[in-house]
Amino acid sequence: MTGYMKFSKSHAQTLIFAALYLFALYFWTQPLQERKIPYGEYDAMSHFEVADYIAYNDKSFQKLPPYIDLRYGGDNKFRPHTLWYPPAFHTSLAVAETIGGERIVPVFLLNAIMSTFIIISVYFVINSLFGFLPAILSSLLLVFSPRDFMPYLWGQWPERFAYAFIPIILYCFYRYFIYFSKEDKNPLYLYLTALFLGINILVHPLVFFHSVIGLAVLYVMLAIKQRKIVFSWKHSVIAGLIFLALFMMFPYQTFNIFSQFARGTDESAKNFDLSRIFQWSLNPKDYAGSVPPSYFSFAEMHGLWTLPFLLIGILFLVLRREERDLFMLAWLVSLYIILHRDLAGKASFLHRSLSASAHIFAPLAAIGAFYLSSIIKLPSNYSKYLKYGIAAVFIFFAFSVNMAYASKILNKNTYNDFFSTLNNEEYQAAQWSLDNIPSSANITILGIPHQEQFQSATSKKIRWFAAVSQHVTRFYYLREDREEILKSKDWYIVLDYTMLAPLNDKKTFDEMQQFERNASATHILAYGKNGIRVYKLAE
Amino acid sequence: MSATALAFLIFSFALFGIAGARAVFGLMIASLPFYIILGCFNIARGEKTVFSILLGLTLFPSLAYFLGFMVSFRIAIAMAFIVFIGMSVALKKFKAKK
Repeated sequence: MTGYMKFSKSHAQTLIFAALYLFALYFWTQPLQERKIPYGEYDAMSHFEVADYIAYNDKSFQKLPPYIDLRYGGDNKFRPHTLWYPPAFHTSLAVAETIGGERIVPVFLLNAIMSTFIIISVYFVINSLFGFLPAILSSLLLVFSPRDFMPYLWGQWPERFAYAFIPIILYCFYRYFIYFSKEDKNPLYLYLTALFLGINILVHPLVFFHSVIGLAVLYVMLAIKQRKIVFSWKHSVIAGLIFLALFMMFPYQTFNIFSQFARGTDESAKNFDLSRIFQWSLNPKDYAGSVPPSYFSFAEMHGLWTLPFLLIGILFLVLRREERDLFMLAWLVSLYIILHRDLAGKASFLHRSLSASAHIFAPLAAIGAFYLSSIIKLPSNYSKYLKYGIAAVFIFFAFSVNMAYASKILNKNTYNDFFSTLNNEEYQAAQWSLDNIPSSANITILGIPHQEQFQSATSKKIRWFAAVSQHVTRFYYLREDREEILKSKDWYIVLDYTMLAPLNDKKTFDEMQQFERNASATHILAYGKNGIRVYKLAE
Repeated sequence: MSATALAFLIFSFALFGIAGARAVFGLMIASLPFYIILGCFNIARGEKTVFSILLGLTLFPSLAYFLGFMVSFRIAIAMAFIVFIGMSVALKKFKAKK
């Protein structure tokens, strides 16, 4: 029967996973589905800005334009005022924006795909090593992992994607080690390890160090297990050259890692507490104001019900100690080491490494659940029912506990924030500004609340306006050079009335009306639509 | 594989319209050369798929970025595709001769 393709079990499994992944994508993109407006914290703005600048201006760039340089000009210590991250990640978003033909949806959608790639990586690796059921259960838990989707929402975009490389890098090296040991000596997987490790550093350096520690621990564990040192000069030199080629691809950015590293011991790490050795998570008080306390809670991030499965999974792997079990344990140990690097004096961004917990906890819990049935001795038929029964309980809890909790944080109203996210009228005005205001000019805004009680939120709105308009944008009332601004043709003045009515802020409304009356003598109205008016100095 | 890709395209179109579908199509286009390149080696289909998407999301834009200094970024994307597809076809032919 030519052309007939048998629908195999493997096809069915792939389709089940594809359905789960599309659901994950649906779940993670809810804020974008509701409103096609950019959202997130300051990090999100910076990543959007870099990608959007390339796509919108149809050119690559190295030197930062003023509206990005204002905040990030000093972030690259090696070459200040240039891109502070290697551009691979952002250019990928720029490619999506260019092909997508629109500024917001392609960037935010592709970012969601990259941020959820850890679900694909974990499924692929666990399916290869332990089979379908543990793999799909692991993926299911990851869909609802707040420690993954919260940083994604906040804007730690490259970091989210970089974590997807860790299981892939470890897997490639594992394959090399195992094949080498079986006298096959095929170097392909070592070269792939070097390739993905090199790419990992281009995506996010912090995660690269995590991968390196993971490789070291995995190598030691496998070498002890097999009582064999796997090494080939030829393979290692070629792998080293592959890595070096990637490392040297963007030297201005990759050399910045050395500048960052040379900053020495972090002050916060000097007062370390040795009891940390026995703790997995960090003290929420040390991160008050930047990360919510729930981020440090096992119960809230993973669901307390996963703990017995997780412990059974670890115990099972420790007792069995097959090569694939050591793979999982090495991954776990490497995360432990990375999470305790403050003991070696490197405490910066420690909480960000915690965001990798679910990537290993989810498969360990799934493995624990899967092998729980093998502990109880039953006739094979009953054992099979027990296995699927436990899987059903696992799925029930994943939906009833994890999904329920996740839905409170990530839903269609996430970042539907009156104060920090642009409204449609503001987005249109920002887009008009991009199209009509000379790139050398700056923008100053009246009407977006500048008072202290609002500022932490509305500063984000100002920055989103800058990101969309591609112009330096500032609060008018917070400037000391207001007189000069009014005399300069390099400043455009935006009067935003859209927030005043909901706030019932008559005082600011009157001030802005008076401002317009005074400005009419010297300025002309360049834009007036939907409660937003833009003035420029008359020629 | 093609059924999964089609489902992905329909899904992105249903949720995000033509912009979403085009963005996903772009990802597929960027990954295609690497899928062909990896097909020249003895690796499993799942590995080929996952690895080629990762390479499409990183190596493809890296080349487009470099080319984007010399030509328009749109043309740079097209050139990057031609270069990688050329490499994949050349490698396939080379492997077939061997």
